[in-house]
Order: sequence, then C-alpha cells, then structure tokens
Amino acid sequence: MHPRDVAARGDPSVCSGNFAHTAGAVFVDGNHSRSREHEPTVTAPALQVRHLVKRYGSLVAVAGVSFDVARGEVFGILGPNGAGKTTTLEMIEGLRRPDEGTAIVDGVDVRADPRGVRARIGVQLQEAGFFERLTVEETLRLFGAFHRRTAPVDGIIERLQLGEKRRARAATLSGGQRQRLSIALALVNDPRIMFLDEPTTGLDPQARRNLWEVIAGFRGEGRTVVLTTHYMEEAERLCDRVAIMDHGRLAALDMPRALIREHTPGTTVAVTITSGEAALDGLPGVRHVQQANGEALLSSTDPIQTVHALMDLNRRGALHFHQLRVEEATLEDVFLHLTGRRLRE
Amino acid sequence: MRTFALIVVMLFKHYFRDRSAVFWGLVFPLLLMTLIGLAFGRGENLSFTVGIVERSGGPVAQSLRQGLSRVPVFRLTDESDEVSALEALRRGRRTLVVVLPPAGAAGAVRVYFDQARAADSRTAMVILERFVAEANLTLAGVRPALRVEASPVAGVRQIRFFDFLLPGILALTVMNSGLNGAAWVITEYRQRLVLKRVLATPVHPAVFLGGLVSRYAATNLVQLAVIAFIAVAVFDATIVGSLWLLGGLALLGTLVFVGMGIAVSTVSRTPESANLLGTVLSFPMMFLAGTFWPREFIPAFLQPVIAALPLTPLVEVMRGVAARGEGLASYWPGLLYLAAWGVAAAAVAAWRFRWE
Repeated sequence: MHPRDVAARGDPSVCSGNFAHTAGAVFVDGNHSRSREHEPTVTAPALQVRHLVKRYGSLVAVAGVSFDVARGEVFGILGPNGAGKTTTLEMIEGLRRPDEGTAIVDGVDVRADPRGVRARIGVQLQEAGFFERLTVEETLRLFGAFHRRTAPVDGIIERLQLGEKRRARAATLSGGQRQRLSIALALVNDPRIMFLDEPTTGLDPQARRNLWEVIAGFRGEGRTVVLTTHYMEEAERLCDRVAIMDHGRLAALDMPRALIREHTPGTTVAVTITSGEAALDGLPGVRHVQQANGEALLSSTDPIQTVHALMDLNRRGALHFHQLRVEEATLEDVFLHLTGRRLRE
Repeated sequence: MRTFALIVVMLFKHYFRDRSAVFWGLVFPLLLMTLIGLAFGRGENLSFTVGIVERSGGPVAQSLRQGLSRVPVFRLTDESDEVSALEALRRGRRTLVVVLPPAGAAGAVRVYFDQARAADSRTAMVILERFVAEANLTLAGVRPALRVEASPVAGVRQIRFFDFLLPGILALTVMNSGLNGAAWVITEYRQRLVLKRVLATPVHPAVFLGGLVSRYAATNLVQLAVIAFIAVAVFDATIVGSLWLLGGLALLGTLVFVGMGIAVSTVSRTPESANLLGTVLSFPMMFLAGTFWPREFIPAFLQPVIAALPLTPLVEVMRGVAARGEGLASYWPGLLYLAAWGVAAAAVAAWRFRWE
C-alpha cells in the first residue's frame, strides 16, 4: 500500500466517533491501494462534516451527521429514499442552511461562506430542470458564466459523450442525456470536489455502467467525489468508503468490504445435495447451516476452506451434490442487518 | 461584464426560441389595438355619412347640397329614393338622411335620424342645424356679428385616435411583460428547480436577476419597436416625440413591472397561481389606467383608484411624449410615483425571494 494513501486518508478518527471501532480495519484492505497520478498536495481532509442537523417542523430530516472525506476519495452515502441523503448533501453544498452543525469544505466553513463553498465544488442536483430552449453547449456556457473559473466546454462535452447532442435543446434530451448534462454542469468550474446526488437514478443498466466509468474517471484525476445512491451495487463498485444512512442518521461508515465483513454473517456457500447431508457438520469456516429450497446454505467466514472441504467430501464419496454456488454478501445484506429493512421497498 | 452580457444573451435566446410567446407578445397588443380602434376610433376625424334625397334639382336645393358637401365631417351619398334611404339609415349605414325641399318651395329641410344611435345623430344634427342657420343668414344677406374660431390644444397638430391609442398599448405591453410574463417565468423556473441549479453556482443573485431583468428590457424594446412600426405603417399612427425618451420610459416601466412580476412570483407556488395573481393586478389597470380611452371617460368615483395605479403615470407620460411631443417636465410627480412602486416591488422581491 502506498504510504501517501494512508496519509491522505488521515488517522482513523476521521471516521468520526461512532465508527471508530471499524476504522482499524480500513487500512489493511489491499483492494483499496490505488495509485493516483495526481496526488493531492494538501493533506487536510477535503470535507469535514460536523454534527449536521436539519428539522422541518417536528420532522428531523437529518439528526446529527458527522464524517470526513479525504482528498481523492470517492465517498458514498447509501440509503433508502427519505433517509436524509439529499438534505445532508445540500447542507454541505451551501444550498440549505443547517439548523445545527456545519461542514468545512476545502477549508471553507459553509455556514460562514456558502458562496465560497459553491465556487469550489461541482454540484449535480437530483431532478433539477434546465433552460429547456438552450442547447447543451449553450447551457454549459451559461453556467460557466456563473463561475469565475471554467473548464473548456469541448472537453466536458466529449467526456460525457454529449457530442452528438451539442446543438440539441435540453428539452429534446432523453433521461440519460439529461442526467449526463447535469453531471457535465458539475464540471464547468473544473472542481476538485464533486457532489453527485443519485447520479444514475432512472437510468437503464447500460447507461448506468457508462456513468460509473465517467465517475471512476473523476477519481483517476484525483477529484474528490461525494455521491448518494440507493443502489448498493453502485456503492460497492465506485466508493472507497460508504456511509449507510437511515432515518437521518449514519448507521455505519466504512469501506464496502469492511462493512460487509463486519455486519453480515459472511459468505454463503450453497450446495444442492443428493446424499450425505450429515457430513456437513463441522466443516471448516462454517458458522451455521440452513436448508432452503432444497439447498443447504452454509454461512462461512472462510469460503475457500469450506469449498475445499466440500470438494474433498465429494471426492471421497461421503457427500454427493450436483451444484455449488458461492455468494458474497452485499451492502444490501449490510443494510438489512443494520436496519431490518431492504434498501428499496 | 462579459459574463453578464453572456447571461443576458443566453436568456434572450431562451425567450426568443419560445415562438408562441414571441408571437402572442406581438399579436396580443396589435389585436387589441385593432379591436379598440375599430370599436372607438373613427379612423380619421369625426365623420358622418349623410344620405341626400333630392327630388327636384331646384336652385335652393342645389346650393344647399353644395354647401353641405363642404362641411368637412359630412360624407354625402346621393339616394335614389326616400324609402331605400330610410332603410339604409335603419341598418346603420347612414347617420342622417336629409330630404331637400322641392323646386320653388322654400322651407322645410326634412331630416331623418335613428334614435337608437342618439350620440352620433345628435352631434350630426347640431352640425346640420348650424349649417342651415348659416345658410339662412346668407340667404337673408346678413353678416354675422360673432364667429367662433376653434384651435386644437396640441399645437397645430390634431391628435388622431391611433396616435392616442398607441402609447397606451405600448405601456400596457410593458406592464404585461412583467406582471404576466416575468411572474410566470420565474415561478416556473423555481418550480422546475432551474433556479436551484443557478443557486448551486457561486453567482450572486443580483447578477442573475439583473441578467433576467436586462433580458426583459431587451425583449421589451424589440417588441415595442415592432408594435410601433406596425401601428405607424398600418394604422397610420404618428409618434411626434423623442423615440429615445420613449425607449427610456419603456426601460423604467420594465424595471418597475418586472420587479412587480418577481414580487408576485415570490408569493406564488405554481406558474398558474402566479399568472392568476398577475392577471388580477394587471386586468383593472389595463382598462382603468387610461390605456384605451381618456381616463375622464371613467366615472368620478373610480378616479382615486385610477390615480393610485402604477400604470396610470406610465401611460400619461408615454402619451405626452409620443402623441404631444412633450418632455418630462410636467410628469415628474408621476414618474416618482411609478419609481416608488418599483422600489416597493424590489423590496418585497428581495425580502421574499426563494430559489426553490
């Protein structure tokens, strides 16, 4: 692991009080040592969120949320609709004034200088409209005029594959193209920190995968990305760390793998057995066995050892099975475990 | 400055591509002008069609006929017989039918009129009676001791109806662009979260709203120029005053009424409700502020209301400049009153403005 990577992520306390117990595991996971071409020169966190609270009358939309995001990190906020993800994001972006707490974005306190924050960040809003009779290119130029610092429009258009639609009016764009234009607008000021609010909601799977590549590209350039989503696959694929949000609070925060390890029973090895069920007892790594739909579901903390043992039993004739699946636990399972509900209901 | 110009240009394009808005923005005032002109204007000056029934062709009748043909407001039509002439009168094609006395017989000049159109026939009758009285004096060889000499107040020029109407229509168009246009547009931007997208950038609200007001100023000037051009080319209206001054007044009006439109948008949830409130405010002004007819035509008890309307001073000063070629000198109180409305609207807008 690159030593700078550890430095950039800061000490475990960045994971904020509640989650310190998982923080120890954060830095040993080999999957997450990415080499970055543009190492940030400043090592202070890109984002420090401190006890944000937002109330609407008696409803508490956000009930004290704190976390830090390191420079160059892709940070996901995962949660069902109405969990408070968008409200949290909009308070950090300076679009909504928090009732309590604050956020320091790139060194600027959003309570003191919301416009200063907005100058430093790129924002993609959920479901916001466009000037429908302006073309893609004109829209980018207009919003460029709202910023001091601007990136070349041509590059942005190319990057989000809007070249063919360059002279098309916003009103004529498809859902996926509008979403891409929305993300393109987050790039007009060439920001170091980007906020994407449900960037792939409503897109077909192909369009979603295309956008994942674009967002992964932002990370490749050393930009910090904070995104919300209710697709666990998206969070797993894109995010260095994920905060799981429910009812206005963070239920957990860690790297996806670490969350899964911590909050799920482990990997499931499913075998369809024809004879010799008794042999299943006491296999290495297996915590417990469950029967479902003619399959034996083995919860394993060490799936490789478990599969090896199963193959051995099969070879020796002690156990016969005609199908074997290994199922990784997902963030969906983590969410289920933490909240007792599924993400999308 | 360049970025501000870019904002104005983009917003202008955005408006200009809304073909139906552009079309109705021009057609509505022109349609109003045509209809009001047809209903109340008499094209040129006052003029009455007088049917002449002449039975004999005697010398008195001849000289009466000649004399009548010199009355400027009378257009004479020779009738074949009395019956068909009266039929034309009943149908409203004649204001009066005059039956000239037969040859040799001095005396009665019989006149038919339609009581249903009292105002017109009374005016025409007065003119006819005066003419006959004069003819009598001439026939008796008497020189009149007193004469009336009339001079129009607008210098040597006579204000025709379209000259009067055009500035009213221009002021009305400026008002509508704010109370109906801007109120709707901004509420729609807010509802569709376009304003929120703007908020997500570091642009100062004053720069964005300033850009929007400037685009209204630009579109209003274009719109007014086209309306004025058509009024001059088609309806033969005349603008005697300074076009620069008129343009400046249009800009002041734009600031005030777009400000009021923004204020309306701040208390409206949907574009539809903004439109309704805008119409509630603009409709009475459209008819009361002296836009289509002199405000003196409206009953006295409404005069205090009329004086309080912000459109009234704009109509008056624009009419003074366009139709009478006046300067601003006598209009300062009205202009200040109008500006006060603008300041009040801006205060409400600044106090209540929400991006979403």
